[in-house]
Amino acid sequence: MRLALLLALLWPGISLARIGDSVQTSTLKNGMKILVQEDHTVPAVALYFFYRVGSRDERPGITGISHFFEHMMFNGSQHFGPGEFDRQMEVHGGNNNAYTTKDVTVYTDWFPPDTLDLMMRMESDRMAHLVFQPKIVESERGVVYSERRLRVDNDNLGALSEEVEAAAIIAHPYHWPVVGWASDIEAWTMQDLETYYKQGYAPNNCIMVVTGDVRTDRVFQLAKQYFEAIPSHATFGEPRTVEPKQEGERVVRIRKEAELPLLMLAFHMPPTKSPEYPAIEVLETILATGESSRLYSRLVNHEQAALNAQVFDEPSLDPFLLSIVIEPRAGVAVDHVRTLVVSELEKIKASPVPETELRKAKNQWLAAHYRELKSNAGRANMLGTYEIFYGDYKKLYEEPAEVEKVTAADIQRVARQILTPENRTVGILIPQSKRTEEARK
Amino acid sequence: MKGVLPALLAIAVAIPLAAAELRLPPFSRQVLPNGLTLEVMQRKGIPLVEIDIAVKGGVESDPADQPGLAEVTGELLRKGTTSRDSDEFSKDLDALGGTYRIRADAQSTLLQSEFLSKDFGAGLALIADAVLHATFPESEVKKLLAQQSDKAKATKDDPAEAIEPYAHAFFFGESHPYGRVMSEISIAHMNRDSIANYHKRMYSGRNLAIAVVGDIDAQNARAEVERAFDSAPAGEPYQWTEPIRLSRTPRARLLLVDKPAATQTYFFIAQPGIDAKSSDRVAVSLVNTLFGGRFTSMLNEELRVKSGLTYGARNIIDEDRLQGMNSISTFTKTDSTGEAVALSLQVLKDLNEHGLKADQLASAKAYEQGVTPREMLETPDQLAKLLLRLEMLGFGPDEVNTLFQRMDAVSIAEANTVARKYFETSGLTFIFIGDAKKIRAQVAKFAPEIKEIDISAPGFGGI
Repeated sequence: MRLALLLALLWPGISLARIGDSVQTSTLKNGMKILVQEDHTVPAVALYFFYRVGSRDERPGITGISHFFEHMMFNGSQHFGPGEFDRQMEVHGGNNNAYTTKDVTVYTDWFPPDTLDLMMRMESDRMAHLVFQPKIVESERGVVYSERRLRVDNDNLGALSEEVEAAAIIAHPYHWPVVGWASDIEAWTMQDLETYYKQGYAPNNCIMVVTGDVRTDRVFQLAKQYFEAIPSHATFGEPRTVEPKQEGERVVRIRKEAELPLLMLAFHMPPTKSPEYPAIEVLETILATGESSRLYSRLVNHEQAALNAQVFDEPSLDPFLLSIVIEPRAGVAVDHVRTLVVSELEKIKASPVPETELRKAKNQWLAAHYRELKSNAGRANMLGTYEIFYGDYKKLYEEPAEVEKVTAADIQRVARQILTPENRTVGILIPQSKRTEEARK
Repeated sequence: MKGVLPALLAIAVAIPLAAAELRLPPFSRQVLPNGLTLEVMQRKGIPLVEIDIAVKGGVESDPADQPGLAEVTGELLRKGTTSRDSDEFSKDLDALGGTYRIRADAQSTLLQSEFLSKDFGAGLALIADAVLHATFPESEVKKLLAQQSDKAKATKDDPAEAIEPYAHAFFFGESHPYGRVMSEISIAHMNRDSIANYHKRMYSGRNLAIAVVGDIDAQNARAEVERAFDSAPAGEPYQWTEPIRLSRTPRARLLLVDKPAATQTYFFIAQPGIDAKSSDRVAVSLVNTLFGGRFTSMLNEELRVKSGLTYGARNIIDEDRLQGMNSISTFTKTDSTGEAVALSLQVLKDLNEHGLKADQLASAKAYEQGVTPREMLETPDQLAKLLLRLEMLGFGPDEVNTLFQRMDAVSIAEANTVARKYFETSGLTFIFIGDAKKIRAQVAKFAPEIKEIDISAPGFGGI
């Protein structure tokens, strides 16, 4: 009952169940699921398509092809020529984006309410009838390579994360980067693209989420009209490979032209749907959310050894990584920073978190959770993410209760399971100066 | 990501008739006896409340030898007050699950915070404590200055981020407030006295504006803010900098920042733009939507979609109190630097010489009227930021409420006049970050001389 009371306080005047109930669902005969949540605050709609297509479905030689597809989906389908998707959208007051992860490719459209019909028509056309033109494939290859240079080659954290992930995950497809290895970006063929599209882009492999200024019955009617005739078919199977248990610390060092070093510690952790996940989220909050968090307070404020301390994970279908990223201060030895991080991790394993600190972390988590629901775009993204990674969009509204149940003992248990030296991959970016090297030669 | 960068001929696309209306939701505005401006807007829904505070001045109020002072002062507010030390402040803030962000823009220091509605009182008390009762302990000042100095250096590890301060310093120059950017050099000139004095001078009623937006009772919220801030001294009003007219340089200027081993070149092509109150602002923004503002813009179409030279190309129009930059911004692989610059200039020339067609202008209007409601008015944080921006620039609600009518009124003749006036092809300023050894020859033809600096040299080429 304590839980019910807490939620009533956080959502004055709105019962949590009612918000969950305001989502309507429907599944087409071909297996495509649709989630709709009306909100008439502003004359705008968010329309999201979550395809279960990610770098997890690739293999060596075609790494990065899921992400490349995300780009190709804007380059022409049977009834809308190259660039037409964007042009039509923008002239009707809409815009769009898309993102690819290890597990999903998500297409995100935002537009005024009277453009719903057109958007559904265009999305249906590219799901069923994408067109590949050799010239466009080549120019888009250049765009994707530029994106890789932006996010990896010329971005120190991007470069270090890629190396750390590849060292931590040695067998499972999470080993390679979402953007793909450079040599694969250069080498994809038209045949690769066509095969991959045919396999992955099926209605039964997709969830459509609509939030905003719409009428639910109209959305269902248009979905039926434009999507139900697209045949379902078998798609990628689950990856067979299970990542073997790591048996000892791994260390990766890379040298880059840089002003400051970077330190990353990555630990294998269970997938998002694991019952341990709520406790892990609270653990992460205690470690690095806010300036009073353990790592920030110790490394940045007290020891003045770092500029920042952050913890990352991302929704994942299979076990992935909990990553701690530290930007050491100039002149501070990276090994010293690493010792400080490890000593904080040992503390959280050694003694239970005090009640006030646990309460603080839960409040932070809850407030952040609600912040994600402020906009149509945020709600659409969260509904789709929960439907895919937690197995049910309703978990979005149930997770606060799960987090509330987390105890100090739970935190200690997951910390002891995950934050061990054997389970750890350490990455260090060492600054070097090309000029100094050239001068030496 | 497909790209968030903001096209070209809307061929055979039926343009919907614009019938949209844009209206700021109702809000109250009052001036307290000490001169502080308070704006409160109630928005029911998610139980969150945004409390934002703007302090007049911002970058333009930084002393000439201490660029970044406004920002650093803002950062230090939470590092010790008359009733809390830095750790206690962080614990209290985190215990509420609150957010707290400080940033100095061209004309203000903006503090943005957000709390659960039920914690409005506690959150407000915390924010008021920081803004009014900061004590700037010497040890915290030293610590923060050292951190900021390292952060300025770390910026250079991300050329996509570093290009902007270099561009500002080179384009505006040291004699202009926008040309003085924070760096380890300017931070070395700051100390507790300069910070505490800045705070005393600027953080007074007549320079403060507060916007509260969210799921709260408006009347109670007003009363609580009044109580929390009535002790603020009225102080002296900040005297805004007089307008500074930017003149176009007779010859092109070029800065090359050498980042050895960079595989990609980042560049800006800048020229004088507008100030926030320019009578051309609506027309310029519509022209920019087509030139470099949206995904299907002329620039992105040529440099990304058709040629694959870059992940994204755009044009940015600054809209600040003083006249700002109008700049093309993109990046490309080292080998194609010269090609990408030449193509950017060709697109600029096409706009300047051939102008726009009526259907393009209609498309820009439809686009802006479609995206504006959700980009400007959807969430409490957007609304609070908007209210304070209007306040700092001296606009009333009509700046928003009549925006669509003013867009509709822009004729194709007017659009083409501003296209010629603001998108010129001579007297340009070029800024590059890349591997100088490999791109020097490629960029030499764009200006009579090259100013070259090493990225690891202290600062951003200015103070």
